[in-house]
Amino acid sequence: MSVKKQVTENSKKIEISIDGRFDFSLHQHFRDAYVNCKENGQVFTLNLSTTSYMDSSALGMILLLKDHAESHSGKVIILRPSESVNKILEIAQFHRLLTIEQ
Amino acid sequence: MQNKLRLILWTGGVVSIAILIDLLFIELSHFSVIFTLVLVAIFVFLIREDHKNNLIQEENNTAKGKTSTEQDIQNTLTSIASLLNQQMIIIDTEVDRASALIRDAVTGIADSFKYLKNLSEDQQQMLSTVISHQQGIDDDKSMTIESFVHDSSATLEDFVQVIIATSKQSLEAMSFTNEMSRQLEGIFSLLGQVEGLASQTNLLALNAAIEAARAGDAGRGFAVVANEVRALSVNSTELNNDIRIEISKAQAIIEQLQGSVESMASADMTSTLEAKNRVSEMVEHVGDVNNKTKTVVEELTLLSPKINETVEIGIRSLQFEDLAHQTLTSLKSNTETINLLYQEMNQFDFQQGDSAEQLNVLQQKCQQLIQKADYVNDNRSVSQSSMDEGEVELF
Repeated sequence: MSVKKQVTENSKKIEISIDGRFDFSLHQHFRDAYVNCKENGQVFTLNLSTTSYMDSSALGMILLLKDHAESHSGKVIILRPSESVNKILEIAQFHRLLTIEQ
Repeated sequence: MQNKLRLILWTGGVVSIAILIDLLFIELSHFSVIFTLVLVAIFVFLIREDHKNNLIQEENNTAKGKTSTEQDIQNTLTSIASLLNQQMIIIDTEVDRASALIRDAVTGIADSFKYLKNLSEDQQQMLSTVISHQQGIDDDKSMTIESFVHDSSATLEDFVQVIIATSKQSLEAMSFTNEMSRQLEGIFSLLGQVEGLASQTNLLALNAAIEAARAGDAGRGFAVVANEVRALSVNSTELNNDIRIEISKAQAIIEQLQGSVESMASADMTSTLEAKNRVSEMVEHVGDVNNKTKTVVEELTLLSPKINETVEIGIRSLQFEDLAHQTLTSLKSNTETINLLYQEMNQFDFQQGDSAEQLNVLQQKCQQLIQKADYVNDNRSVSQSSMDEGEVELF
């Protein structure tokens, strides 16, 4: 249960990895991970490969990240979600809003 | 005729024998001739008497024999007549019974066919209703299970979107409250500074009081001012504490608010996921059931006209009652013929004149009856031998 952040290629690519449960308790850490990245055209990659559980606040956090990225002409890519997480993303119809890479 | 011949032969024979006896035993004389003639006369008389008697007897015998034969014929005819009568009554009864049975049965069958036809029509109507319901063509507002399931699915999706939007807004609210919390922390540090000022003022007032005491009477007025300043600093500290307590309360309330926002933001999606799965299964199931129902209903729709057709064939076949009735009626004409024969035979009586003539009349009557029966048979109304010919609508 942690948020890890990696910045590569001149701060243009930011990868945020969520380990374990992705719920409300992470909201401050998650927000801290992106709120100060204010360069234009940044790509935020959200690695959910080790995420075991996600509740609605996680979806809200992803939407806030998306709003943040789009306000700086960037975009969000969700990477390798597990099967259970992917089902929740499907219910939320996130595949219409975001790029989901398996 | 035979008796006369016999009489002549007998007479001739007796005359010849008398002449022969004359010739053999008695010399021809007047006496012998007279004797012979007398003898012959006696013989002839006797024979004639005998012959007469014979004739009478024979006549009597013949009359007797004739009467008994006539009686026999009469009896036989009566027996035949009564047998005919008995059989005729039985045939009549049986024909009537068969007619009644067929009529009753046909009425029952016709009623049941009628009922079956009505049922089939009702069924057809129900099927039409089912089909129109299924296709939802009769009323756009009508709710089908299919549309209900689709609506449920859409509602569920809306619900999910609402949950996510709520979470997002709660998280935004959360960052605002965090900001507010930080602002309150800032106020706390400012309060600390104010507190420092108060304690410094307090210390300053204490020093002023000490200096005033050292100055003696001249500093007495200044000591009062110093005391007042000290009291102000104490009051200031108290006020500071009150503010700190109030802000702490506000902080506690903000923490409660954050708890509420957290519970608002954190909805477990597992139950929604399950509901979504169930709805998806339902959609599939309803589609499946719809298709199957459609197929069955269509098959049933095709079946109804066949039932109608079969019922009509059945109804058409019921004209056998007509045919059977006609057959039985024509059978009645046969029994009437027998009845006429029976009456003729009843009228037959040997007491009324010549028997031969009566028999002749009876024979002629029989011939007439045969001709009549032939005529009737040739003109039998039942010429139709198959049910398939023609169409008869009984209703």
